[in-house]
Order: sequence, then C-alpha cells, then structure tokens
Amino acid sequence: MLIFKLMYLIRGYVLVRLKDANFEKIMNLLRKKGIVMWDIEKKNDEIKFKISYDDYRKYQDIIKETKMETIKKKGFALNLRKIKVRKGFVAGIFILSICLYLLSSLVWNVEVIGTNNLTAKKIKLVLEENEIKVPVSQGSLETKSIETMLYKNFDNFKFVEVYVEGSNLIIFVKEKNIEPAEFKNNEPSSIVSKKNAIISKVIAKSGQPVVKEGDVVYEGQTLIMGIIKNKNSEEFVMVPSDGIIYAKTYYNFEMKEEKIRDVNISTDSSKVRFFLKINGKNVKIIGDKAPYENYTYKERTIAVPILSSLTNIKIVKSVYYEETVKKIEIDENTAQNKMKVAMYDDLIKKCNNDSKILKSSINFTEDDQFYYLRAQIEVMEDIGESVKIYPMTDAQDEINEENQGG
Amino acid sequence: MSKFNNFRSYLADNLEIPNDAFSDNFDLRMHGNKKVIIENHTGIIVYEDNEVGIKTNEQNILIKGSKFKIEEINSFKVIVKGEIKEIIFSKE
Repeated sequence: MLIFKLMYLIRGYVLVRLKDANFEKIMNLLRKKGIVMWDIEKKNDEIKFKISYDDYRKYQDIIKETKMETIKKKGFALNLRKIKVRKGFVAGIFILSICLYLLSSLVWNVEVIGTNNLTAKKIKLVLEENEIKVPVSQGSLETKSIETMLYKNFDNFKFVEVYVEGSNLIIFVKEKNIEPAEFKNNEPSSIVSKKNAIISKVIAKSGQPVVKEGDVVYEGQTLIMGIIKNKNSEEFVMVPSDGIIYAKTYYNFEMKEEKIRDVNISTDSSKVRFFLKINGKNVKIIGDKAPYENYTYKERTIAVPILSSLTNIKIVKSVYYEETVKKIEIDENTAQNKMKVAMYDDLIKKCNNDSKILKSSINFTEDDQFYYLRAQIEVMEDIGESVKIYPMTDAQDEINEENQGG
Repeated sequence: MSKFNNFRSYLADNLEIPNDAFSDNFDLRMHGNKKVIIENHTGIIVYEDNEVGIKTNEQNILIKGSKFKIEEINSFKVIVKGEIKEIIFSKE
C-alpha cells in the first residue's frame, strides 16, 4: 500500500468529495470504468476519496455528472506542470546547470609545481603552442600525451606528472640536477694547508712535497710546491700540483643549554582572516589582524576561477593558531644529548666528508642555570687546498732585480 | 453456485491452481480483525461506518463492526479496514 501511495504521490492524485445518497452506486460505476479509488472515508452523508490525476482528467464528464467536488490536487507530476508555466524559473535552472557544467568540466588554470617562474612560463608557452589553452574541456585533455610532450621539449626534466584537480591542471615537475663538469686544468698550482695541523701522511702525485710526517703546519703554509727542477736542463719549471695530505687537526667546542626553557604550546583555538590581494596590496575582508598575543600563522592563497586569471586579484585566507608559553625543565640526559648532536653537526660542517675522528674527550658540567659541554676532538683529514701560482712577467722581473740591486 | 463453477473450483483444487483465478469464487483474506481483503468482487452494496456490504458473483458479504474505512477499491479487489466483529455470507 505504501508503494501504491508513493507511486500516486509521484504521478499525482485528486481528493474528491461526493454528496449523494446513492454513493455506492456511483462508486460501482467508477469501479466498472476501471477507476481506482483509495482512502475512502464516510462522514455523515458525504464520502471523500482519492483518485489518480490521470483518471480525473480522463473521466471529467462523469465527475461533472455525479457532481463531485474537487478538494485538492497533489503530486510531483502536478508540480512539474506548474513549473512548465514558470518559464523564468526553468530558464534559471537551465542556465545554472550550464554554469555548473562549465565551471566543473573545464580547466580554468594551469599550475606548475616544482620549478621556477621562468620554466613555468616556458611550459605554459609550450602548452599554448600545442593548442592547449585555458579554458579547456577536461575530457579533451590527455595527461599522458602532455607528459610526453613536456619530456620532449625539456631535456632537463627528470620527472613530469600531469593531472587535473578540480578546475586546475597541475603539472608537477622535477628537474635534473646539473652536475658541474669536473674542472681540470694544467695551470701551475701549489697545495697549501687549510688548517693548523700535524702532518700524518703525504701522498704527492705531482709537485714537490715540502713537509714531512710529524711537521706542524699552519693555515696557508705550502705543503706541495708546484715548482720542480727539470732533471735534464737543471731549470725550474712550474707544474700543477696534485696530492693528498692527511693531518691531525684539533677542534675545541664549548656549548651550553638552558635548564629551564620557554616552549610554545598550541591551544585548540584559531581564528581565520580573509583579505583580498590586489596588485600586492592587502585589503581586509573579514577578521582581525594578530588576534592573539602568541600565535603561529599560516597563509593560503585561493585563486578565484576566471577572476584571478583575468585580473591580479586573489583571496588570501590566513589562520592564526593561538599558543601559550610554558616553562619546561630539561633533564640532564636530554640536554647532554642535544649538545652532543649540535657539536657533531658543527664538526661535520667544519670537516671534509672523508674525515675520521681519532680521539674525543667530552666533559659535562652544570650550574644553576645551564648545562655545559667542553670537548676536544682529534680528527684525521685531508688539509690540502690547491692554489694557483703565476709565472712572473718581464716587468715584475725587472722590479725584483732593481729591488735586489738596491 | 452453478455446476460449471463447482467443476472449475474442483479442478483448480486438484491441479493446485489458485481457486479465484480459475473459478468465479471470491477470495477472502483477513489480517486479524483489522483488515479484510476481498478479491473477485463485483461491487459495493452498502457502505456505512458500522457495516460494509460487498457483492460477489454468487454471494453477498456483509461485514459488521465499527470505524470502517475502504482503503482501496478497484475492479478486482477491495480492502476494508476497521474493527471487524462479524462477517455474514448470504445468497442474493
């Protein structure tokens, strides 16, 4: 019965009233005509019942003859008939549907991620040359072929991924890291010390070593000289020096760490602020600037379809997350570990990659306010650094000779 | 009940075919004492708040009770709802 009623709610029904002493006769007449009646109720000398809207229209003459009164008409189909009359409303819905279709099925913006502005512009230019201009239908975009096209046009791309997200065409690019070509020249050079150190081992591939194992050398001191004596002619010639000089270097570290530290802890509250960005200037729409005393701040630019592509207007959403400052006591172990890590980070920056720690002595002390670290690290590393040497010009020779003569 | 109808009813019973589909006999079903469904009827004789009379091919059915409401009526079936107290079958 529920399905039956639901069906007639969709197709439409009419509630009618019949005031006749012989209503049984009329009901039988309607039944014989094939009219379905339901929810028949009798009150005093009248009955009310429902018939389908189709039957109501079909047997209009019988309804008039039997003097039936129409109480109400109801149903989805009847509402549709009303909508037919309201042409403006229908046209509005039609236009809205078209707008929705256009906004959702077209790509309005091309976004390039993972590269600089210049390459992004080049990518967009390549797309335009290949007749991919926004707005473009999402269905006509073949992401795989765009990827292939970009690989062909840009040799320096290691990875390209093209996908459609909403109304944006996202092009994710990863560029190859161009490795600098190894610089090899035959200019005369010497190798000098970068640091103060004690020499452990000298491996001279070319040039004349001027230090030996156990020597103490200072920063800038020559280790391998690029001037050698020619065995045949007894003349001095300049050569490019090459070699490795392993030496012991010493690094001293002094660090301190607070015992009680202020830490920012975020609360759950946050406030949102919207503003318009017009040609780099911010115009506030909603929200206060810096609503909290302590806060972290995040900003996101929302590109409005059509508007942002035509003008330089963007909506910026900024969120302020409130934070409270809390004092936290740091335990000794944590502080020591932190200082150690910081010390080794510092050491890595100062040393070469192939350096090796030989000995380390680390001392920890503390007072009322701080934990202290004092350390001395002995490292074995290559301390050589190549420097160019220039042959003297004739003019310089003359000046030198004059100086010597004077 | 005519002899031919009797024969059709007998045949339907033995062939295990629904009786009302093969003969002119009515089919009466009750859901408790709240609802009566009568199939194969030929019309309504009387409809009052406390009684409903339904005509079938060979018998009249008089349902007595209170608060009667005809839920649905079409050329084949009639559904009567209300508090049923009595059902009387009578020859025309």
